Amino acid sequence: MGFSAAAAGDGAQLCVFDLRRGQQEGQELDKILFFHPADCPILLQLSVIGLCEGIVTFTRIFSPEEDCEVIESEKRSQVFYQAEPDIWMVLVVEKTKDNESTWRCGALQGILKEAHSLFTMFHGPIRTLLDRQPSAELARGHLRTFLTDYLSDFHVGKKLQFPTYRDSLKERGTIQMLTVPREVALEVQSLTTVLGSCLGNVTCQSLILFEDLLVSTTLPPDDTLNLYTYAVLRLTPRALSSNASSWSYLRKGTSVNAGPTSSSSNGTTAGERPLLREKFSKGKDGFVAPDFAATEVCGAVPLTPILWFQQAEERMYLCIYQHKSLTILLLIPASSLINREEGIAHVKKQMLENASQKIVTVEQKLTRGWGGENAYHVSGYRYLLVDPDRRVSRASPPGKVTTLAKDSLLALNRLRQEVDLEKSRYRRSDPCHDKDFEVCIRTKNNTWVIAKITRGRELYMALEKGGETLLYASTAVEKFSNRYCEGAFSTD
Amino acid sequence: MLGNQVQGGLGTPGALSHAYVQHPPLRCDIPDIRGLFYDDANKFLIAPTADRILYWKIAPSIPSGPPNSDPVNEGPVLSVRYSLDHKVIGIQRSRHEIEFRNRETGVTCSKKCRADSETILGFFWTDCPTCDVILVKTSGLDLLAYEPQSHAFRLVESKKFNVSWYLYTHESRLILLASGMQCTMFTGYQFSAGGIVKIPRFEMMMSKTEANKPILAADDVHIVTVYGRIYCLQLDRVSTSLNLYRFYRDAVVQQCTLPTYSSRIAVSAVDNIIMVHQIDAKVVILYDVSLDSYAPVSAPLPLLVRGLPSNNRQASQTADSQSSAYGGTIYGDGWNFLIPDLICDAENGLLWRLHLDLEAIAASSSDAPSILEFLQRRKSDPSMVKTICLAIVRTIILERRPVTTVAKAMDVVLDSYSRLMKMGGGLPGVRQIHEQSQRLGGQPVEGSHVISQGTSPGPTVSPSVNPDQAGGVANRSAQANSGVDDGIDRATLNTSSDSDEITNVSGVTSQGKSGHQTSDAINKRQQVVGEDSRPLSSGTSMQHGQHAGSVAISPIEMFQSVFALVEDEMMGDPAYLTAVIMEFLRSASKAGLKAPPNLYVMMATLLARSNRYAEITLFVSNKILEPSKELAMQLMELGQQHPPTRKLGLDMLRERSLHHDYVAALLQDGYYLEALRYARKYKVITVQPALFLEKAVASNSAQNLATVLSFFCEFTPSFKTTSDFGRYRHILSEMV
Repeated sequence: MGFSAAAAGDGAQLCVFDLRRGQQEGQELDKILFFHPADCPILLQLSVIGLCEGIVTFTRIFSPEEDCEVIESEKRSQVFYQAEPDIWMVLVVEKTKDNESTWRCGALQGILKEAHSLFTMFHGPIRTLLDRQPSAELARGHLRTFLTDYLSDFHVGKKLQFPTYRDSLKERGTIQMLTVPREVALEVQSLTTVLGSCLGNVTCQSLILFEDLLVSTTLPPDDTLNLYTYAVLRLTPRALSSNASSWSYLRKGTSVNAGPTSSSSNGTTAGERPLLREKFSKGKDGFVAPDFAATEVCGAVPLTPILWFQQAEERMYLCIYQHKSLTILLLIPASSLINREEGIAHVKKQMLENASQKIVTVEQKLTRGWGGENAYHVSGYRYLLVDPDRRVSRASPPGKVTTLAKDSLLALNRLRQEVDLEKSRYRRSDPCHDKDFEVCIRTKNNTWVIAKITRGRELYMALEKGGETLLYASTAVEKFSNRYCEGAFSTD
Repeated sequence: MLGNQVQGGLGTPGALSHAYVQHPPLRCDIPDIRGLFYDDANKFLIAPTADRILYWKIAPSIPSGPPNSDPVNEGPVLSVRYSLDHKVIGIQRSRHEIEFRNRETGVTCSKKCRADSETILGFFWTDCPTCDVILVKTSGLDLLAYEPQSHAFRLVESKKFNVSWYLYTHESRLILLASGMQCTMFTGYQFSAGGIVKIPRFEMMMSKTEANKPILAADDVHIVTVYGRIYCLQLDRVSTSLNLYRFYRDAVVQQCTLPTYSSRIAVSAVDNIIMVHQIDAKVVILYDVSLDSYAPVSAPLPLLVRGLPSNNRQASQTADSQSSAYGGTIYGDGWNFLIPDLICDAENGLLWRLHLDLEAIAASSSDAPSILEFLQRRKSDPSMVKTICLAIVRTIILERRPVTTVAKAMDVVLDSYSRLMKMGGGLPGVRQIHEQSQRLGGQPVEGSHVISQGTSPGPTVSPSVNPDQAGGVANRSAQANSGVDDGIDRATLNTSSDSDEITNVSGVTSQGKSGHQTSDAINKRQQVVGEDSRPLSSGTSMQHGQHAGSVAISPIEMFQSVFALVEDEMMGDPAYLTAVIMEFLRSASKAGLKAPPNLYVMMATLLARSNRYAEITLFVSNKILEPSKELAMQLMELGQQHPPTRKLGLDMLRERSLHHDYVAALLQDGYYLEALRYARKYKVITVQPALFLEKAVASNSAQNLATVLSFFCEFTPSFKTTSDFGRYRHILSEMV
């Protein structure tokens, strides 16, 4: 990766900058908190950020309330996200001649948002880091390791590959739930109660996942979402197994940058590089713990990561326990532990003593009822259901979505882009009320692409080889709604 | 003594004793009587005089009036037993002669044995299909059939063997015949309505001393019937221990050895609890063998006489003071223990019935789930059992016992309820089946299966809903099918136990109607059986009849008498209460029971109060909070601070097809066009047009107002004639 490669747009750029810094002429470099690729020449970095800052300042004149979202140019898209007041994240992606680089601005913004949410969960808000250490060394160090590790997920070969139109039946920043029968749900809740009482007087919070699906949570929605996202990225059995298989190529790109951080900031903890892939592994006791042999951190005692939960307004230690397909994330309020590792060891012991039997039972019941990765496939439909209130989505399994024709996916991507616009337009005019609307478009090969928003819930679908009439499309939606959404999208 | 300590004012009676007899007793100290006899088949307490037989029918309850009387011939009386239909009195006159007297005609006949070679040990009446009287002689058994026309007895069969002594209880229909040098070899038969079952010969355990081999006495062996199973307790005086055997159809199995503190013991069965009276130590130990656990229910404690006039306000008395107050000695020499739960003080001519002090037993244990299980197995005094159970559940919640403990308690209560509901249902019908199976008298095993199912409602009525019996239904049928061992208690024993149950059933029906009289709706043979073997204390079985199945606690009662009552006090810790409710729901779901909607309302409220809206959403979506109108309304209410929760309520209204409420709620939130569309689709005409119109006006959109107006003109033809139409058209014209 040399200068020419980056400059020629090999892959993408991601930068984080703070508009409050570097106000003096000649100090512009101080604005930059993070830039990927790291070996991009400073001048190029400055020019990217200069442009972004210019656009942000300019658009504020017209629209002080709403942020600038995207600049589309012939060769690239620049997607903006104001993560914290005056702290911006910008993703620059190159366009190619073919349609492969057709994406949706909202999906790319979702990446920035997700990266920032996760960062905040582990390190707290960027502004807080900056306030704590105005030289920004701390913030830069954390951002560098964290975002580099985060971006590693998007590496395809040497390039960064971001979601395209092919992912239009996916919604980043949502939780996928496992649907369980009432009887099993009650068992799960019973387990949750036991987990909650592991510490005695103070209630522990917990998330329970089965495979990559959420089963239960005691956290507020945003915190649940962040932790769920993290779990699916790194902690579930599937994530752990891919950690093991993919570590080698990752180290190439990241280890050089990551090295200094851990030594520079004092009190290095396991939480410093939570997204480093090879970091976690499952121990004999069933607990998933940072693997220190791999991260060359000295000190014999493995440290338990501590997380900051914005909605719950609490710092909590994270213990991860795994039994077959079941992953339990147990959160111990940091304020309630005097001696960190001793306290955590005690909680773990309590958990093994009190909950083991229930964990086994719950895992068995869930496994018995589990329909496999195609459990939520509805034949004939390729769909995406989103409930923004609950931050929950459900979609056709990826394997089924790939059977859609390219044209159908492109049409769907386009439709979603329009719906995004419509939604934000409406949200501006009347933030309190939901607006219902519905779009059914017939495209090539008798394919219907449909978007329907009812009382805040969103349904997108593609029906290939459908009928020719609008009646066909609306009947299909009606059927789907009645059978799978308890009538939520039925026409009134 | 224990009593003295408590007299200091500390304790309740419960701290002192777990079993009691109620004062006043039946007084049977009539002058001129020549001893007291007990006919356990008919539950008659019998007192012969020179030329009469006086008797009290002491089931279902101990009477207070004077005894009945029958004239008889003069002569010595060794024992008296009425036939099961009460038509014939059998009186053993000597070791060689039994006299039978027809009560209607006064005709008598005698049955004698050869004076030189054998003596009569005793006799009893049986409901066995082939014979009516069994004569027990030192040389074996004579099975006699009674012929009413000729008032004569015909020998059906003779079974020859040596008998040293015998033991029979009508309750078990089981006769044990002792033989051998030490009298430890036993032959057994069960003469039941299902037929005759021979029990394999077996030997009882006796420890030996160096000096001599002790001989087992009849007084040291006790047959006891609980939970429809037959056990036998045998005192081993040398090792001062008590061997417990259980009878199966093809085996006698020693279950365990219990400790004793006395050289003399007596055994009673009260409400399926085995009471072992340690006569020397003047204490009683209780055992509940339902789950094959042989640990005592509680520590050995003295027996209490309740309601003594001199001191009934005091918590308790010492045994001595009690004795002086009632005029006899507790566990005195004159005490006879009658089957199953009676004590007869022959010296003073008093008859007591034994009772369990359930409150005291409950208070003596802190293991809530076990004590609840114990209570739910009790038949006597269901309303008291229920009250105690509810109090226990409330207490453990208020004391914030670990959720797992509370969960176990919930399991016990709800399992018991669900078992009861599954077995419950129309008693009369059940009884019919029951009788049929009895009359057919077919294979005991098959019969017992039917019967045991039939009897199960017996528990319903006479709250014997103990887990064992319930489980027994499955067990028995399974065993019946596989035809494997476990016989006697399962099959034959059942026959006896179900005749007990019949007692209950029939007794209950009759008591429900007419107090103490037995039902004559049942055929006479049944009636006899019914009267004879009632194992319960009378007062309680009456209550069974009146509050059928009331020992079980329904989910609704749990809500009303537990959750609703503790809610206020638990406000400080809503998380604990929600966890407890969750466990309750889990138990209910496991037991296949529905929880009342109010409980879901309470749960949602508790969660909202601690700001756990996300969990409300989760629980609504996975149906832990089952949808109902009540819950929907509550969610809408709670959702005023949290719009997504309000939406949940709204969705629930729609899913429940509560069209009117849904439209009204949409309107209230300002979604009047959506409401209008919905109203059109589901023909909701109960919501006033003015409400829609008002919202349209409020939205300040002439277009929308016009839409709503024209909609109503079409939708409701009469709308144009209303004042609303005129008024809003005027408003519209001003807006445009």
